[in-house]
Amino acid sequence: MRVTLQQDLDSINANLLEEGQLVLRALRGALNALREADAELADEVIAFDDEIDDSYTSIEQGIEVLLARQTPVAVDLRLVLAMLHTNLHLERMGDYCVTVAKLTKLVAGVDPEPRMLQAFEEMGERAEEMIRIALDAFVERDLEAASSLVELDELIDRANRRVVKQVLELDSDPGLTEWGLRMIVVSRCLERIGDHAVDIGEQVAYLVTGEFREFTDASHPVERS
Amino acid sequence: MTQTDTMVSVAPIEIAQRPERSAITTRRETVFDIQNLTVSYGKAPAIKDVSFEIYRNMITAIIGPSGCGKSTFIRTLNRMNDLVPNAKVAGDVLYHGVDLYGAKVDPVQVRRRIGMVFQRPNPFPKSIFDNVAWGLRVLGMKDNLKDRVQHALEQAALWDDVRHRLKKSALGLSGGQQQRLCIARALAVEPEVLLMDEPASALDPIATSRIEDLMHSLKNEYTIVIVTHNMQQAARVADLTAFFSLEVMPDKSRTGILVEYDATEKIFTQPSDKRTEDYVTGRFG
Repeated sequence: MRVTLQQDLDSINANLLEEGQLVLRALRGALNALREADAELADEVIAFDDEIDDSYTSIEQGIEVLLARQTPVAVDLRLVLAMLHTNLHLERMGDYCVTVAKLTKLVAGVDPEPRMLQAFEEMGERAEEMIRIALDAFVERDLEAASSLVELDELIDRANRRVVKQVLELDSDPGLTEWGLRMIVVSRCLERIGDHAVDIGEQVAYLVTGEFREFTDASHPVERS
Repeated sequence: MTQTDTMVSVAPIEIAQRPERSAITTRRETVFDIQNLTVSYGKAPAIKDVSFEIYRNMITAIIGPSGCGKSTFIRTLNRMNDLVPNAKVAGDVLYHGVDLYGAKVDPVQVRRRIGMVFQRPNPFPKSIFDNVAWGLRVLGMKDNLKDRVQHALEQAALWDDVRHRLKKSALGLSGGQQQRLCIARALAVEPEVLLMDEPASALDPIATSRIEDLMHSLKNEYTIVIVTHNMQQAARVADLTAFFSLEVMPDKSRTGILVEYDATEKIFTQPSDKRTEDYVTGRFG
């Protein structure tokens, strides 16, 4: 039944997962460039964002045509809306990878602080894990896995807060201070990638339950220890 | 012998094999080239000055408000209007470059090449088998009759429903099955083009969906032109969409005109003409 609609949904879904893989590659490239202070690799990450943007645009157009032609309803409509949001979240993740790469280039001449580099590697690995879980949860319609993203995100948030503290503790060398300020933004980018993974999890929950709700309310946060 | 050669031959009727068609259309091949077509019943033109091309292995939808000449238009493509007294056709309808209204053209051969399915399923009060075999017998296509009937029923996605009751009356089928039987009947004589005039408007949503899926699978082998008052149906099934509308003439009479013809996704996301936009958004008509 409704062969064309199903084919279109499957095709957009496959493109979305492919975009997720592009984002994972961009993030890995950005993290490696940061760790190795590799300006050339950073340039590649920046250029690679065009592929993510092309994928984003193509999915967006595919959804526009599907909505106009197939008028999906019920679970099909929820899937289309969830894909529309997820597409945007993935594209934003790609933008954060570009920002990390640009900041890496800006501090190319400064010796980094090894302890903080290690912290970024861990944050980055956690962000990668969150993206994978979010995409798998989307494919499997796995509400439990989607909900688990909140706890993982809390770990990245904590790491982000520690970075600020560590930057304040850096030696007052002007070069290192600039490096530290740039790194606060890098940390923020990784933290935001985690947030977008949580947002994809919320789309999974909407898809499964038909009700949209934020997993956490940023305006009224629960007291943290 | 080419298809068009066959079409203009008068007698005896020669049964040419339909040429092999590629499942994938890599380029647009024109089947119908309609030029300045005006069709009148009596004095008033029902459609005026319509020009566009219809392409092979594509589904082309004709949409527009009531009275805009959609059915008149589709009926000119296989000379069904010949049967209407006072109907007068001006302009050209070229089928593979041959004027369909040329003096030597045999309307029976035209209708064999260009089959038609109507709004209301109209099976004959005969068995399911005989309904499909009817056109084959009339046209002398009697070799492998059983295989031909089975193939047509399979193409129309009806074989599994009726294989054990081929001798039963076609009138015992549901509305949706009857319409698929009419499609099988049209396909049996191996046409190149299938014209469908509101083929699902008398069917429920499930039966409609089956017809639409069927059209999707048939377009690999056939060129399909569908008239529909259901815009969403055009949006769902058609590759190309032509929007017809009514124009008020200086003498206050109304006549159908072609407003816009484009890829369906263009018509339904970003039409070029405001009249099309007003129609597809429900602000007019």
